[in-house]
Amino acid sequence: MTERTMVQAINDALRCEMGRDDRIVVLGEDVGKIGGVFRVTQGLWDEFGEARVIDTPLSENGIVGTAIGMAMYGLLPICEIQFADFIYPAYDQIVSELAKLRWRSGGEYSAKMVLRAPVGGGIRGGLYHSQSPESLFIHVAGLKVVCPSNPYDAKGLLLAAIRDPDPVLFFEPKRLYRSQRSEVPDEPYTVPLESAHVARSGKDVTVLAWGAMLHEALIAATQASEQGVDPEVIDLRTLWPIDIDTVVESVQKTGRLVVVHEAPKTCGFGAELVALVNEKAFVHLQAPPARVCGFDTPFPYALEMEYLPLSHRILPVLLETAKF
Amino acid sequence: MESRREPGRPTRERNESQVPKGALRDDGSVDEVAAVGLSDELAVALYEHMVLARRVDERLVAAQRARKIAAHSSGQGDEAVAIGAVAGMRDDDWVFLSSREVAAANWRGMPLFVSAHHAFATGAVAGHGRNPSVPPAFRRARIASVSPLAGTQITHAVGVGWAARLRGADVAALVFFGDGATSRSDFHTGLNFAGVSRAPLVAICRNNGWATSTPVARQTTSQGFAVKALAYGLKGVQVDGSDVVAVLSAVREARARASRGEGGTLVEAVTTPRWTEANANDQAQDPLVRMRRHLEFRGVWTAERDAQNNASLTAEIDDAFAAAEGAAPPNDESLFDHVYAELPWHLQQQRRDLIRSTGARR
Repeated sequence: MTERTMVQAINDALRCEMGRDDRIVVLGEDVGKIGGVFRVTQGLWDEFGEARVIDTPLSENGIVGTAIGMAMYGLLPICEIQFADFIYPAYDQIVSELAKLRWRSGGEYSAKMVLRAPVGGGIRGGLYHSQSPESLFIHVAGLKVVCPSNPYDAKGLLLAAIRDPDPVLFFEPKRLYRSQRSEVPDEPYTVPLESAHVARSGKDVTVLAWGAMLHEALIAATQASEQGVDPEVIDLRTLWPIDIDTVVESVQKTGRLVVVHEAPKTCGFGAELVALVNEKAFVHLQAPPARVCGFDTPFPYALEMEYLPLSHRILPVLLETAKF
Repeated sequence: MESRREPGRPTRERNESQVPKGALRDDGSVDEVAAVGLSDELAVALYEHMVLARRVDERLVAAQRARKIAAHSSGQGDEAVAIGAVAGMRDDDWVFLSSREVAAANWRGMPLFVSAHHAFATGAVAGHGRNPSVPPAFRRARIASVSPLAGTQITHAVGVGWAARLRGADVAALVFFGDGATSRSDFHTGLNFAGVSRAPLVAICRNNGWATSTPVARQTTSQGFAVKALAYGLKGVQVDGSDVVAVLSAVREARARASRGEGGTLVEAVTTPRWTEANANDQAQDPLVRMRRHLEFRGVWTAERDAQNNASLTAEIDDAFAAAEGAAPPNDESLFDHVYAELPWHLQQQRRDLIRSTGARR
């Protein structure tokens, strides 16, 4: 066990798995000698050499496109997209090629890879370094989407994502990169995909959250409990495919649902979560499901803390939903 | 879809000073340097595969016009590009086709019944009727899976070559695309990555003068496409794409460069598409006519052999197409296979919904 930040935990996961599996190559912009702009890949270039840790030209389209070829050949690429906001030039490759390769070839080919990208706001990144585009990928058949909320899960989920046979988008909440520390085992371990974690047990209202906003939800839950409302907070961890059983069981118990996410509200993943709960636990609901989300605007620089669904925005919704 | 004949199209205007490098001469003889290593057996095989390509394509054009298949991109006039290029690579090299080169997969050993079942979207082959507007994937022969999107496969081919180079294997990638794809970012990104990585890549740009209905002058104002290689540190060559010996020779040279670690080559193959009204009967630029003239010059092809070849091809194609046309579509449930390696809960549920609804329909 070593106390690690999320950056260190992810770095440790990469080092563990690269040592174990020589098919793995890490590629991206500035991932080599300087170890990435957030230093997540620091030291890997020295340890594994430039044939396995590759600084690419500045093109997300090229990174994902060539990684598809590498994966078809038999390598296991782990690509770093410098910011999730930069992933859109690669969207065609991800949606039209990567996600559909196994299906369109009837299983003859697949391109196993992990696409790592820092997501979310709270670091004064402004509108091009703060977005949370998870729902754009959840909507695409063939992809899996993961978003850890702490260093322990980050290592275990990343190892599970690398060992999973399907392409995985691994979204790292950059606000937590250095603000979260926890004890992380030195040896490899996995946190299974498709397993949500009940971060706080409660009986009055179910709160679904992930990534950086999980911590805001937990703060709001503690504050709510001081006012006599006992929320249950679930960290989804894997967004898709979702651990539906944990969600439904919780709502069956509490009869109330609040979803929290940073991404804009309309057509965000919260919309799907509310629909799923309506389909599977409608008769248990005692209040309208509620969403506390980013606004349907571009991500702001100057008004960042007003945009984010922080605890002070979550708390009143918890209370209203619990007392409906 | 580039399947329909466009009666209003003019013939391509070609500046005679820009006629690209060819090997086959009008009298049937061949440039000796280009033809080094071209045995009688190989020459005949190149021709027979081009004839097979033409006959299969004619069937698919007819099937599309009869509305038996939804779409088909004709490769008539481009046979020398598909066959010459694949024949210039080595057997363990990878091949990324675009819409018009299914014949290259047949050269690699993909049986005709696979092309036929794939085109008719049946459940009898791995494709499961999912992606019939481009050639099928055929892993055994390293024929990659591609989409009909122009040029997206270029970076994949670079990635294969790059991976081989990282692993120290002398394996290269061949990728085909049309002139329209050169306007997309995938072309520029792919060639740039190939240059930087020195990936063993042979990129074939089929320049037939048209992207659907848009003439080449509206894709680029550069003097052809081969020159674009220069900016990416690749070698660019232009060949007569109606001349299978010229294509073979250019690709062999490009493949040898790749083995020497000198990186990628962009080969611009200039062709005359036969799916335009004006060019449909152009004998002078027909790659089949030109190669047959050479076989006759060599003394390895006769009218009798030609008739035999046509008869056996016709029988083989008849069998494959008859079987495919009558074959069953894929099972309903197969829709959900291969989306993920294993079926997640939501697809299990949707599969049950489909089975229930089709049960009700019956």
